Amino acid sequence: MPKILIVDDEEHIRFLYSEELTDEGYEVVTADSGLKLLERIDAEKPDLIILDIKMVDYNGLDLLQDIRNKYYDLPVILCTAYDTFKEDMKSIAADFYVIKSFDLTELKNKIKMALETAVPAKP
Amino acid sequence: MAEAYLEENPQNIAQADMVVAIPSYREAKHVAYPTTQAALGLKRYFGDKKCVLINCDNNSDDGTKEAFFAADTEGVPRIYLSTAPGVRGKGNNFKNLFRKAVELKAHAVVAVDADLKSITPQWIKHLGEPLFNDFGYVAPLYVRHKFDGTITNSIAYPLTRALYGRRVRQPIGGDFGLSGDLARVFLASPTWTEAASQFGIDIWMTTLAVNNNVPICQAYMGRPKIHKPKDPSAELGPMFNQVVGTIFDLMASTTGYWMRVKWSKPTSIYGFGLGEVEMPPPVKVSEEKLAANFREGFARYQDTWARVVAPDIMTKLLEIGDLPPDQFDFPTQLWAKALYDFAVCHQSRRVEREELLGSLIPLYFGKTLSYVRKTARMSVQQAEEFIENECMVFEESKPYLVDRWGS
Repeated sequence: MPKILIVDDEEHIRFLYSEELTDEGYEVVTADSGLKLLERIDAEKPDLIILDIKMVDYNGLDLLQDIRNKYYDLPVILCTAYDTFKEDMKSIAADFYVIKSFDLTELKNKIKMALETAVPAKP
Repeated sequence: MAEAYLEENPQNIAQADMVVAIPSYREAKHVAYPTTQAALGLKRYFGDKKCVLINCDNNSDDGTKEAFFAADTEGVPRIYLSTAPGVRGKGNNFKNLFRKAVELKAHAVVAVDADLKSITPQWIKHLGEPLFNDFGYVAPLYVRHKFDGTITNSIAYPLTRALYGRRVRQPIGGDFGLSGDLARVFLASPTWTEAASQFGIDIWMTTLAVNNNVPICQAYMGRPKIHKPKDPSAELGPMFNQVVGTIFDLMASTTGYWMRVKWSKPTSIYGFGLGEVEMPPPVKVSEEKLAANFREGFARYQDTWARVVAPDIMTKLLEIGDLPPDQFDFPTQLWAKALYDFAVCHQSRRVEREELLGSLIPLYFGKTLSYVRKTARMSVQQAEEFIENECMVFEESKPYLVDRWGS
């Protein structure tokens, strides 16, 4: 069962995503901020991260840089209420960029694609 | 493999940690500026390392070598390498560079174009530093005008991404960083071709880096790439055939790899904090010329296309050829499948290579015309999203290629 780490400072988002993604058969863990996120990733070893961008104390795009520098191929989906962060080139280090919605169809599709992505380890 | 014909190494440099190379052919007017900026970058950011600047030239007769040696490098030593008289090609210059980098036991190699007008010392930092932090290959990431780099946008980026599963936005950007170890791999590769020895070298390096599972990052340059501008409707010259031909050549030798790739992964980004993003200068494009080139090719190459693409794809090409000019559209899925068919045909050698690649050019002009019209009112960012969506179409259509390749 793939494990998903949801990083979002809004409790209702964490709750909604946890419920829906658990129903889809994923194991879900959550974090309410970017505090010690790399340590949390080390401990939880998630297969995929859903990362909010605009959090009270943390910028998800900076966290994405940190994640990408340490975990070269760990799938990260940026999930935000704002379309405008796409203009920041840092966002292209994410696997996907999804606009927050109560309809999780797109998010679920992107999760599936990110987990299905296959790039051979060796030629 | 062409051997270096000439080497001038006035300071007898025998070892270097870091090399900055400037490949050139007849760039006497331009080479001093990137040389000076590169030297500043080396002094400022790699002052604790043994560095050298190398001009890898095609035996230019316009004084490129003299201009390179005359540029102010604030004491950073220089080497000039040249191919034999009559031996041209950017790839041949890179062969000489790889040889020299291995001989110098360089840890990091950065290459920048000789006609760059927007290079800053930070470019050297951003292309070079990741190589001292476990990355093996660094591709550039610039903000480009939506009509600049149309071979990249419609062929090199979507095709490389769908084939090899790694998102490298500027796979033929012209400015790169690579490790000394990768230079050795490049030098020993059995995949060198005539096209790779020319303008095919950029896509050749990127493809081999991805295929060798070298950790890749994209270095943010901060400023747009400003060099000799090109109108995408203008004569393509041999560059198109060399780039696309190299992509097709490498598909044959990497089949076992790309067949196993599904979807794609992003690539690390390095080098932010350069302040406000500078917007690129506009690129003029002539829709009339694009349309005329497409129509001309349509009349000339229909028979060839019928031998290259699947019958249903041919039917659709005929359909778009019949569209009234003001309603012209080249759907991305049709473009992706046609391109896949061309790759399959190249592999099967059903059509002679030059004719095959030549017949693809009018379709590329048609696709470019369609892109120009669809993105005319878009911002640079919106056009980027448009291209990203096109890449998804290439990825979604990949099973078509896999089926056709094996049949």
